[in-house]
Amino acid sequence: MNGARFLLRRLVQGLVSILGASLIIFVISRLSGDPVALLVPADAPASVIADIRTRFGLDLPLWRQYLIFLGNALTGDFGNSYRWQMPALRLILDRLPATVELAICGLIFSVAIAVPVGVLSAVHRGGWIDRLGRVFAMLGQAMPAFWVGLLLILVFAIRLNWLPAFGQGGVDHLILPSIALGWYPVAAQTRVVRSAMLDVLDSDHIRLARALGTPERLIVWKYALRNAAIPLLTMLGVYFAAMLGGAFVVETIFAWPGVGRTVVEAVFSRDFPVVQAGVLFTSILFVLSNLLVDLGYGLVDPRIRDAR
Amino acid sequence: MLLSVRNLQTHLHLRRGVLRAVDGVSLDVAEGETLGLVGESGSGKTMTGLSLLRLLPKGSGRIAGGSISLDGRELTTLSESELVREIRGRRIAMIMQDPMTSLNPVFSIGDQVGNPLRNHDIARGTAVRAAVVDVLRRVRLPSPADRLDDHPHQFSGGQRQRIVAAMAIGCTPRLLIADEPTTALDVTIQVQIIGLLRQIQADTGAGIILITHDLGVAASLCHRIAVMYAGQIVETGPVRRIYRQPAHPYTRALLEAIPRLGAKRGRLAAIQGQPPSLIDPPTGCRFAPRCALRMDKCAEAPPEITLADGHRAACWKLADA
Repeated sequence: MNGARFLLRRLVQGLVSILGASLIIFVISRLSGDPVALLVPADAPASVIADIRTRFGLDLPLWRQYLIFLGNALTGDFGNSYRWQMPALRLILDRLPATVELAICGLIFSVAIAVPVGVLSAVHRGGWIDRLGRVFAMLGQAMPAFWVGLLLILVFAIRLNWLPAFGQGGVDHLILPSIALGWYPVAAQTRVVRSAMLDVLDSDHIRLARALGTPERLIVWKYALRNAAIPLLTMLGVYFAAMLGGAFVVETIFAWPGVGRTVVEAVFSRDFPVVQAGVLFTSILFVLSNLLVDLGYGLVDPRIRDAR
Repeated sequence: MLLSVRNLQTHLHLRRGVLRAVDGVSLDVAEGETLGLVGESGSGKTMTGLSLLRLLPKGSGRIAGGSISLDGRELTTLSESELVREIRGRRIAMIMQDPMTSLNPVFSIGDQVGNPLRNHDIARGTAVRAAVVDVLRRVRLPSPADRLDDHPHQFSGGQRQRIVAAMAIGCTPRLLIADEPTTALDVTIQVQIIGLLRQIQADTGAGIILITHDLGVAASLCHRIAVMYAGQIVETGPVRRIYRQPAHPYTRALLEAIPRLGAKRGRLAAIQGQPPSLIDPPTGCRFAPRCALRMDKCAEAPPEITLADGHRAACWKLADA
């Protein structure tokens, strides 16, 4: 299969996923209640409510609402925010760079910890770094992001006063939210790197490299690590996508002006167009980052490059 | 003598106990000579090879005694960094069994063949590429200059074994340990690889230790044969004598077990029983429990008998004759 066909197939698969996500979010958000009830005073006359419902198209059958939404979405129109009276897509796009910035930094933090700890744990299997790494990983998985976030704020922002606790600004504003976001995946990534390294270090080609006098430093950090990077890469794609879409908690705690916080606010005010635009956009990013990972394999593993 | 091994003892410290993988092996390899180390799986052939490189399983493997001398230099006392810098890949190189898994799938062959050259300062910088092409030409890889950036999966099994051989001979080692180099290949390719090893030896004058369970391959390539059983060498001698006048009952049984083309059909000759556990090996002759000529005396360690110049075997039966 050649590269173009591979890409095309992946894009079609991605489109199907996005369509599915749009349907689910469309239906679920409407199950949450009537947005008009939150927009008007409790004693508003029924005629006013009906009028607003007609204006937003909420009086139509659900399937027609969905089709209209889809048709408009294809032209890039996700409707206006009920609350802010501006295009929902603009609202999301304005917040997107902040979210991407945070996700990238979170990912860099997690990889920067997971790769060295995973590699050293494998090399010194059963040694103190391996044991310490395992304890650390367990702690990471046991501590939910909101708690880590609050703890970080408490220690580094309030007690020590080293770093700002919330908002967007210079690099220093990025540090705490990145750690809170990247903390959780460290454990899983460390485990993947460790077990992949153990596999590779036990392989024939590493034995041959040793038998031919390759210094251990090159064996571990060059010849073995690139093999171990393949399973890690798969995982990074999933985590990056999850960070883009799942930064709700961290963004809310650190008052980070990203997509996640915007969507959370929109959910509370039943601002359907914003929720839909936000979720759809996140799912598009999800699909794209997985596509990037698939393409990234080719860079690391020549067998995959040629098989396409 | 190029290589002189005396009373080598290699132990593997396992949870079940200490496994005496190599138990008192002595052997010599002269320059330009090929010694065949034959025996069944688990007899300690590969462990002997790995012991020469001091590349034993991390944590559990240990050379417990004996000496290994290469060109008069004692290897058992060298430090790990001396071994990496001066011995492995430089003076002693090893070719592994499976060419399909011996090459790193995610690096180009140019990088992998160049790796020992760079590590041992045979070539530097831009000269590495030229040196790699040169060594790949020596192992007869077709159009090597165009293929340096190709990866292992783009080569056939025979080509990969040539590439592995190129990695091993790049630094013109004095001793080449070939561990079952043809086992994973089909017969026509086997012949080519045997030819390649012979040519490498003619070019460089290296000594070769060929580790194999295939007596046919051993016969076609080796000058001398050492037969291993349960961690010990039971018989050693010039290849012709071993095949024509095998002295040790185990060697005889091994030769009889080779199926012959055109021979009358029937059950294949097999040696009854299993080799002993090397964790707690029996005192005396280790082959005795499976030996048809077993005597009471075999409960004591058999003496090594010299039968002819360079032909020795360890068996009570021979002592009596």
